[in-house]
Amino acid sequence: MKTKFALTVNGAKQRVTAEPGTPLLYVLRNALKLTGPRFGCGLAQCGACAVLVDGKEVRSCVVPVDSMVGKKVVTIEGLPEVWAQQKGIAPNSQTLHPVQQAWIDEQTPKCGYCQSGMMIAAVDLLSKNPNPTVAEIKDAFTNTPPSPHLCRCGTYAAIIDAVQRAAKVMNSTGGPA
Amino acid sequence: MIRRTQGSEAQLTTRRDFVRAGGALFVSLAAPLGEAAQIVATATTPDPTLLASWLEIRHDNTILLRTGRTETGTGMSAFYAQTLAEELRVRPEVITLIMGDTDRTPDGGYSAGFLIGAANVRKVGAYTYQALLSLAAEQLQVPASSITITAGVAAGGGKSLSYGQLLEGRHLDLKIPVTGKPTGMDASFGWGVGGLMGYSVTGNPPVKPVSEYTVVGTSFPMPGIPDKVTGRTAWSCDVPVPGLEGNLLHARMIRPPTVGSTLITAGTVDKKRFPTARVIAKGNLVAVVSPDEWEAVTAARAFASSTKWTAWSGLPGSEQLTTTLRARDWGTPSTRGDATAVIAALAQAERTVSASFEQPYVRHAPIGPYVAVADVRRDGTVTVWTHSSQSQGLRAQIANTLSVPREKVVIRWLDHAGQYGRTTHSGDGAEGDAVILSQLTGQPVRVQWMLPEDMAWSTASPGWIADIKGGLDAQGRITAVESAFRSPHMMDARLLGAILGRMPTTTTKSGNWNAIEWPYDRIKTRFEAAYGMPNLAGEAAHGGLRGNIMRTPGHRQQNFVLESMINEAAALAGADPIQFRREHTTEPRLLELLDATAQAAGWEARPSPRPGAGKTGNAPLIGRGAGIIFRDNAYWVGIAEVEVTPATGVVRATRFTIGADVGKVINPRHLDRCMKSGAVMGLSEALKEEVTFDRERVTSTDWNRYKILTMQEMPELRVVQISRDDKGFGTGGEASNAVAPSAVVAAFFDATGIFPRRIPLTPNYVKALLNG
Ligand code: FES
Ligand code: FES
Repeated sequence: MKTKFALTVNGAKQRVTAEPGTPLLYVLRNALKLTGPRFGCGLAQCGACAVLVDGKEVRSCVVPVDSMVGKKVVTIEGLPEVWAQQKGIAPNSQTLHPVQQAWIDEQTPKCGYCQSGMMIAAVDLLSKNPNPTVAEIKDAFTNTPPSPHLCRCGTYAAIIDAVQRAAKVMNSTGGPA
Repeated sequence: MIRRTQGSEAQLTTRRDFVRAGGALFVSLAAPLGEAAQIVATATTPDPTLLASWLEIRHDNTILLRTGRTETGTGMSAFYAQTLAEELRVRPEVITLIMGDTDRTPDGGYSAGFLIGAANVRKVGAYTYQALLSLAAEQLQVPASSITITAGVAAGGGKSLSYGQLLEGRHLDLKIPVTGKPTGMDASFGWGVGGLMGYSVTGNPPVKPVSEYTVVGTSFPMPGIPDKVTGRTAWSCDVPVPGLEGNLLHARMIRPPTVGSTLITAGTVDKKRFPTARVIAKGNLVAVVSPDEWEAVTAARAFASSTKWTAWSGLPGSEQLTTTLRARDWGTPSTRGDATAVIAALAQAERTVSASFEQPYVRHAPIGPYVAVADVRRDGTVTVWTHSSQSQGLRAQIANTLSVPREKVVIRWLDHAGQYGRTTHSGDGAEGDAVILSQLTGQPVRVQWMLPEDMAWSTASPGWIADIKGGLDAQGRITAVESAFRSPHMMDARLLGAILGRMPTTTTKSGNWNAIEWPYDRIKTRFEAAYGMPNLAGEAAHGGLRGNIMRTPGHRQQNFVLESMINEAAALAGADPIQFRREHTTEPRLLELLDATAQAAGWEARPSPRPGAGKTGNAPLIGRGAGIIFRDNAYWVGIAEVEVTPATGVVRATRFTIGADVGKVINPRHLDRCMKSGAVMGLSEALKEEVTFDRERVTSTDWNRYKILTMQEMPELRVVQISRDDKGFGTGGEASNAVAPSAVVAAFFDATGIFPRRIPLTPNYVKALLNG
């Protein structure tokens, strides 16, 4: 039966009505119009739908919306604000999260379909390891459960470049608070 | 990365030649500015003979460029802007693009046809520049020859005017000469739809000399990227038109359980559990629709289990694929070369290399499954939001399927996951489902395929078998090559929805073609045969395993066979594989690229296999190998280094060096990105990819069963680029995936002394190969 849920998404309180088992991805995309996270496999096998839940990467295609109550969900649309908060600066639309900026500076996306999930994985990784080596980046994007982050366009090298660029910027500006 | 720049170009048409030859400098100034707006308001395609259909220079000095071709992720949206900026002498940042919308772009054509698309943009830009120059001369009252235009500002006689000021209150009424005809259904093409190339702009307006380029050759960023990383891009999987939403139905398709099953009885939807879901069926096209997407998903699952289909089993099973292909009578091939000369030369050869190769079905496997939104109105108008690579072709197909005039159909193109050729011929995809369901329900419908459905029902790149023979003379030089290549149909552009719904769809004629562009001018005697057949199990109700081209189509598969034979012949001749290739070509571009790439890879000249090559043990054996391809005025060299662990059968690529000479490099960074990406896809194909099926259905239906290369499996990548000012433009995206497989199998041979004649090099295959 459809139920009302109160969610915190990208810092804002949201009320949505959904079947309790509806995967978070469908709620984000259809009810909240947050189209950054994307449907890739619906099976927790690719990473296209990744979002941050309480700062950790989660595959929104398989987590039910009723398990999200009381947690903080962040999509790529909310990354600038995450960064602003970490730095204690007023949120503004001009300053992107260093991960997003690095993705632009390195021209990482090709088709771009997988890249929302890739950036979420990068933010998660850099919060745990502010200065990852190439081997650590490869390990994180491949062996972190539930599955490797897949890119059919083969942008893995560009992702590594961007993660390392973002790390540099984040470290030089003081790193995560 | 290593970059070199070479060459200077030949003489080009000058403005004076152009004017003297009566070039099309129609600088009449027509008043009405409404034309562009009118174009947008109708479902007909903008007239390609009008400048306003191609570009608008606005009074604020910004420029809107329209092309029917689309961005597939290789950076073409940047390259089009760079190309136009160069001809118009403006900064590329002032240019925005509309791509692929049939009601807002003039020229059609397929996405990967960038070179043709860019030639059009270059000429349109050049015609426009000449007109602007004449206009500036008139207004500045100085001869055109004394005017300089930089960054969209014309200066002369001590005065200057921007393009916006030049055109203040007027409209450039310029005729653009074109050839080509509107895209339409055309059974003379194998896939049944004409217009793959779109319109071509003709004539020879003076174009800017390459030596004066300031924007082409620089790493201008891809315009869509900022929106993609911030979540602002409208993707085709999003609900594209806000106004549509209130009335929109989400659909999930219920596909037959086997490749050939037909519907016996549709099941029912439990209204208590799924109050707003309902079933729509037509022929074998079955869907559950609901205003709530998740309800559509769950209701479709429940409903599928209560739906009955006929049993069918008519596939050979992927294990039996190549034996089945071998057993077939293939009929008459399409051929190239001189068979008699080859037979004579092979009879005289000192030694011959003779080998048979094979590959299973592989698939495009985008990260996002097919999706489309369609709005079919009662008045007969149809709008489809899609990521098809060929909008005008799709428009013709949709009109054909729904039996409405093409003028009633609008295709709007949006970004989506890279497709690598599967919609190049304008078919396949969710668009057929979407228009049929929208027509039946009278509501806009969004159809999202699920991953297992996409992996089972989208078209795939067919498996193939090939035989090749090379003859060597006493000096160890190849004198003749004979090859035969056999593959099921690669151009099935039928819309699955139309097939299942028993609606009209395009014709499909199987065939095969000799795709290799010959890189070895010193091997003059050759004979090639390409044999085609219909889809595997094509007689089944829905067309069997439908085949479609995939990135570097035909050429990729055939070149793998040629390059593998070259590597085997080099070994037979006891020659270093790079040096062996050098001895079979006089092409300076290829020679220089071979040397530069070998140097970047730290290639040490010696024959394969390496001393100490072996086929047993727990310790990894190392090897290296090379492969090349020549495609569309571009040369590519790949050098793979691998580790083979005989005990486990695991092959790991440790380094891959890729070199390209694509003529004039348009955008070095995006070329670098394309080269590395293509290398990853090629390695994935060489090491992992295989579509599996049993006698009834495709079984590799998710990412655990259709495996592609992961980030950890990506080797160190090295890149070499050579840019030439005097060789025109070559393709910089497509062939990059085609050099890895031949280099990888050669590296395996170098490590083990055993030459694999099949890809992918999966652990099971490798163990069998080493034990055999
Ligand atoms: S869509 Fe969630 S992991 Fe693929
Ligand atoms: S950029 Fe296309 S799938 Fe990753």
